[in-house]
Amino acid sequence: MRERVKNIFVTVIFSLLLIGFSVANIMTPDLEFSKSERRKLKNLPEFSFQSLFSGDLFEDFEKYTLDQFVMRDFFRGVKAWSKYNVFMQKDNNRIYIIDGNVNKMEYPLDERSVIRAAEKFNEIREKYFQGKNAYVAVIPDKNYFFALGGYLSMDYEKMEQLLKKHIQGMDYIDLFYMMDQDMYYKTDIHWDQERIIPVAKGLLEAMGRDHTGDIHYEKKTLYPFHGSYYGQAAVKVEPDSLVYLTNDLLEKAKVYDYEKQTYISVYMPELFEGMDSYDVFLSGAKPLLTIENPENTSGKELILFRDSFGSSIAPLLLSGYSKVTLVDIRYVSSTILDRYLDFSQDQDVLFMYNTLAINNSAMLK
Amino acid sequence: MLFSSISFLYYFLPAVLILYFIVPKNRKNTILLIASLFFYFYGEPKYVVLMILSSVSGYLHGLWIEKAKVSGNSKLPLASSIVIGFSGLLFFKYTDFFIQNTNWLFNTNIPLLRLALPIGISFYTFQILSYTIDVYRGEAKVQKNLFDFMTYVTLFPQLIAGPIVRYTTVEAELAERSHSFKLFAEGVNRFVIGLSKKVILANTLGELGKIFADSGQKTVLFYWIMSISFMLQVYFDFSGYSDMAIGLGKIFGFQFLENFNYPFIAKSVSEFWRRWHMSLGTWFRDYVYIPMGGNRGSTWKWLRNVAVVWFLTGFWHGAQWNFIIWGLYFACFLVLEKFWLNDFFKKLPSLFRRMYMFFVLTISFVIFNADRLGDGIQNLKGMFGLLKVPFTGPETMYYLRSYGLMLIIAFIGATPLAAKGVAWIKERKHGKSVMNFVEPVFHGLMLLLITGYLVDGSFNPFLYFRF
Repeated sequence: MRERVKNIFVTVIFSLLLIGFSVANIMTPDLEFSKSERRKLKNLPEFSFQSLFSGDLFEDFEKYTLDQFVMRDFFRGVKAWSKYNVFMQKDNNRIYIIDGNVNKMEYPLDERSVIRAAEKFNEIREKYFQGKNAYVAVIPDKNYFFALGGYLSMDYEKMEQLLKKHIQGMDYIDLFYMMDQDMYYKTDIHWDQERIIPVAKGLLEAMGRDHTGDIHYEKKTLYPFHGSYYGQAAVKVEPDSLVYLTNDLLEKAKVYDYEKQTYISVYMPELFEGMDSYDVFLSGAKPLLTIENPENTSGKELILFRDSFGSSIAPLLLSGYSKVTLVDIRYVSSTILDRYLDFSQDQDVLFMYNTLAINNSAMLK
Repeated sequence: MLFSSISFLYYFLPAVLILYFIVPKNRKNTILLIASLFFYFYGEPKYVVLMILSSVSGYLHGLWIEKAKVSGNSKLPLASSIVIGFSGLLFFKYTDFFIQNTNWLFNTNIPLLRLALPIGISFYTFQILSYTIDVYRGEAKVQKNLFDFMTYVTLFPQLIAGPIVRYTTVEAELAERSHSFKLFAEGVNRFVIGLSKKVILANTLGELGKIFADSGQKTVLFYWIMSISFMLQVYFDFSGYSDMAIGLGKIFGFQFLENFNYPFIAKSVSEFWRRWHMSLGTWFRDYVYIPMGGNRGSTWKWLRNVAVVWFLTGFWHGAQWNFIIWGLYFACFLVLEKFWLNDFFKKLPSLFRRMYMFFVLTISFVIFNADRLGDGIQNLKGMFGLLKVPFTGPETMYYLRSYGLMLIIAFIGATPLAAKGVAWIKERKHGKSVMNFVEPVFHGLMLLLITGYLVDGSFNPFLYFRF
């Protein structure tokens, strides 16, 4: 190519790129939220002289230009792809992909956080559950299995040791040995309900509940399920299927939502298309829920202190109890639980959290 | 506003380009002035007035000096311009430093002012002073058009992080400059190279630095990786900005002087400073070192001049002791080289000279990077195994593997190897034609990749913004 032609070519292409994207950004309608990133996007900031002279207006405009850039997901993908494949970086914002399985490096272990979690469990047991059977179980995050491929992970052994050392009057149920890497969704942080029946059985057995034979479930499949890591990965990976297990018992079970003071269903497939598809299980994040089992008349109850992982396993634990109460102390303070719940019944107590919650226990109120 | 931001690339720059190229010649400076004021206002709404007042002061002092020359008494307006010029810089940048040290020395409790530093004040103050001094010396013609003078001071490509463009460099171009596809294309290429240096290399190395700072598993090797990556980050950050400034200058018809010339291939500290932040080095040489006598006179006088210049060079970078020590550290090596090291290294293979420079520079940037002197000492101790940390560990090895290629690219990018490779290809048969196609395609792809990096929100502010 001749020099002069090249110069014209460069000038035209550069100008077209800049002006083209500029016009496209201005013309394209703004989006309210990003499904792939599962977050609300910044909209054009409102003008005021106060925000203009304080600098807030331009600061907000910066965020707006990033959030509303045309083909944002494509460009994020370009960056992620280049990091993995051109610059041979092992992770992108701590996200790494092994055989289509998206994982996040969670490390290092925050020992103080683990001790704080143990103390919180002790405090709750002491306040409400003295003399009752209480258990602690920790769900390993995916990184526990996948980091073995040369990635960084927290010291899980130390976490278990610390918990066992600091919990009082409670038995530790080891889930690590019950689980394997295939029990998780490929694109999401959570475990896949379809694959955790053995974990549910193990938990019931550890808590001394009779688990009479196999319970039959009907599988219902929702597709495509783009998990929370899907958006963070920013590159194209195969979506998961979200399978939920149901049967007559679960169809009949009554779920009471204390926050909305209304009855809901165990599964809410209509929420699959929402911001977080995992909300299909017990409507997602809820401070207090009870699930009543009309077929179990033993009067035995389970109080399950849980995070989002609890939403999908709770239905599988229902067969062992007359009632399962799910308490999420990320959204309700543990000091006021007796205002809503009756702790005088025949109850088992299970504190079941995934390793990320234990490692960030400041969120447990 | 950052050059490496979506708002600059896809809102500000296209709008300015369109306006600039559609208005007639005699309105181009007006467009640049308005754009530059908006550019500054966007990042520093409160201090735009200070910058305008500084420019007007520089302009009026230029006229005063010119007028006073007739009566032979132009020293007074020159002194006035220097005092007023530096008073703004001293007040905003150094007041708290002096208060802190006064409190420490005399056990007083004078409250700090905690003023935000106006962006680019060190750069535009030096530019304005270069103008008034050059007018005084008769090396520059006085500028009678206030708006043209303000266009020079506020010119957005170099406004906030240099290079320090002297008035004499752009004097003629302010009045009359040409635009062409050739200049525009050269400017685009240079701009994209600078943007790539900043966004791809400097920011990624900055990420590595942040990982190190947050890490609970520090090791000797990690301290070294951190120090080397910080040194390279500063280089790519600042030289990237200078490339962008030079590129934008070309697009708008200005020819700024080079600010970096592969400083890491230098074989001595004096050569390093002839290749690093050249506009600052030459400013101190021409306006401080030579007027003080330079290397003329006794050895003691020369030592004094070197100490003063390097003290000021360090202090210019920031109102902290580590910057002063950083400057004086280089002064020590300049003296050592002159009296001993240059002769010593002549007898040894050049590998030793390279190793010497590597250590001197790496340690210098550890000092540069320290927020407090104690931090710098801690990092140096870590590098030399004086802290109770292992030599390496899983986290260190992971990040070495993960950032290894990026570090290699950064090392190579800091040398003229790539430029020489391109020049070699162009000398081959059809090489030029091939490169004429490959270069713009490569730069276009880089622009898209950079957009990806920016959209993902992973950018740092320029390190040199606050200097």
